[in-house]
Amino acid sequence: MKLRPFRTAVLGLSLLIPAALVAVVLFLVVYSGQAMQFNGLHFLTDVTWNLGDLYDDPVTVKGIQVPSGAEYGILAFIAGTLASSFLAILIAVPLAIGTAIFLAEAVPELERSARRTIPWLPPIRPVLSMLVELVAVVPSVVFGLWGIAVLIPFLGHHVSPTGNGYGLLAAAIVLALMITPIIASTLLDALSQVPKENRESAFALGSTHFEVVTKAMMPMVRATLIGGIVLALGRALGETMAVLMVSGGGINILPTSLFSPISTIASFIVSQLDSAESDPTNMSVRALSEIALVLFLITLAVNAGAKLLSSGALNVRKRN
Amino acid sequence: MTKFSKLLRTGAAVLAIAAAAGAAPRAAHAQVDVPLIESGSSLLYPLFNAWVGAYTAANPSADITTTSTGSGAGIAQAIKGLVQIGASDAYLSDTLVKKNPTVLSIPLAISSQAINYNLPGVGALNLSGPILAGIYEGKITQWNDPAIAAANPGVALPSHVIVPIHRLDGSGDTFIFTQYLSASDAGWASTLKFGTAVSWPAIAGEVGAKGNSGMLSALSNNPYGIAYIGISFSKQVAAAGLGQAALLNKSGQYVLPTTANIQAAADSVATTTPADERISIIFSEGPSNYPIVNYEYAIVDSHQPVPAYAEAIRDFLKWTVTEGNAGSFLGPVHFLPLPPAVQALSLTQINNIQ
Repeated sequence: MKLRPFRTAVLGLSLLIPAALVAVVLFLVVYSGQAMQFNGLHFLTDVTWNLGDLYDDPVTVKGIQVPSGAEYGILAFIAGTLASSFLAILIAVPLAIGTAIFLAEAVPELERSARRTIPWLPPIRPVLSMLVELVAVVPSVVFGLWGIAVLIPFLGHHVSPTGNGYGLLAAAIVLALMITPIIASTLLDALSQVPKENRESAFALGSTHFEVVTKAMMPMVRATLIGGIVLALGRALGETMAVLMVSGGGINILPTSLFSPISTIASFIVSQLDSAESDPTNMSVRALSEIALVLFLITLAVNAGAKLLSSGALNVRKRN
Repeated sequence: MTKFSKLLRTGAAVLAIAAAAGAAPRAAHAQVDVPLIESGSSLLYPLFNAWVGAYTAANPSADITTTSTGSGAGIAQAIKGLVQIGASDAYLSDTLVKKNPTVLSIPLAISSQAINYNLPGVGALNLSGPILAGIYEGKITQWNDPAIAAANPGVALPSHVIVPIHRLDGSGDTFIFTQYLSASDAGWASTLKFGTAVSWPAIAGEVGAKGNSGMLSALSNNPYGIAYIGISFSKQVAAAGLGQAALLNKSGQYVLPTTANIQAAADSVATTTPADERISIIFSEGPSNYPIVNYEYAIVDSHQPVPAYAEAIRDFLKWTVTEGNAGSFLGPVHFLPLPPAVQALSLTQINNIQ
């Protein structure tokens, strides 16, 4: 048989990523096995999280050694993750749609009229869209610092009824800032690819500019918009550092208001890992990897849902 | 420890020595030093950096890398043999010692913790373990609660909800704070106990903050807040205009974390410190003893795979508890030197590293 080194190498490389994914999932499942056995379904339905007394003798429950008093319930963190991410999407989507439409439709017109008075005016739109994309690459810890230095005092002094700015709303706003450029730049790319003919024929039929955008252009980029939102949701669900700094780090408490202290799954793993490492039974670390598995499943579900939505399988709304 | 990790460790050590031996002819001294790694407590990190700088200047062949990861990581990595020196604000638990009998907890210096508050219009404030336990359990929710008022006669306490601020990351500061609450409040001792992370009771207005710097900004951002912050941050705390509470000690006195009061506490347990030095200087007996004081530890395996490692660790740690305990190193982080009796115990433990 003829040896095909190129094909073999490319095949090997392309298998590397799925193999790594399978390895990670396998590791999480195997490593958290004992924790699953100990926790059962209470893991998902309990609000109480307690590493137990790591300085006392471990006890044996169901044949497994655990720190005395250990109790692992993550409902509060699942709630915190979903609440902050969806709230962030709620804030980010209108902002991003507005930004993208402004850049795609309003800026070129502004540019044309401005150029009549200032002929040497450099192109504005590429600069503006580059700025939007730049926001997407700002490291998350910078957003966290901004949150602590600017957002938290503002929320505390002017918005929060208790004077405490940390919590769900602060986390959602910081997340929204981080994901708005992701949605906006994806949408902007899609809008600029809408065929000129569609746009012009809509104008020719007597549509207003608003109708052209909402009826002729937005329906064509719907799938891309959903894709962008899911991409952004993925980042929001997994964001760690910025959330850790402003979320108030709630534990054993379900969010009841916009100013409730929350923890997200990702930030909670980071915050507990150091203490878990000094657990002589190692059960704390296993419980944390079980949480990681849950986060993985949530992200998977979100992505699968998005695939269905953007492929139109769940499309109930008729196209105009 | 598993056979495999031991094998790996020995292999790495042999390689390191081979590399060091190869480089030796270039060094001025014939002495061969192996590379050491220190990892752990972020509170100890600045001190280790100052120590390693001065130590390396005096011993050019020394090769020590410092990293800031967290006390728990320091303990875990030292036990696994991934680092030679684990830095920790907390000593090893009994269970960990039973599982790893060769791993030592060696005090290097003395640290302390302040209870700080952000109370507009209130100057001095007295607090006790039971009051703090009540606040962090959610039982005492108002600043003008009768329990707080009884401890502060003549102070006009505001009628405002208390914002309790705690560390959300694993922390030696949480360890010593909850040890103080456990030692002074029976209710806390039987339910929440102590540890580098505890299962904080749900309080609607609570704030979890990351690191001592996060605690400081959370307290500055929250009027009517209360927080426990490592003594290393006392300068920043004072600059932010935050108050420092006097705490009720075992002898029934309210005391501030002054150098004299911390030293008094350290001196009072110097003679009762056991040979393995795993003890907290929390809630100690004595009229001027500040109640939240602790040893800062190096976690070291006394059975090093290669003698050269043991020698390098011994030399460095001996230096830290003698010359390294000078005020020029400890002053900037507000740590205190070990009392002579404890220094002797630490030196004995260090000499056991083989």
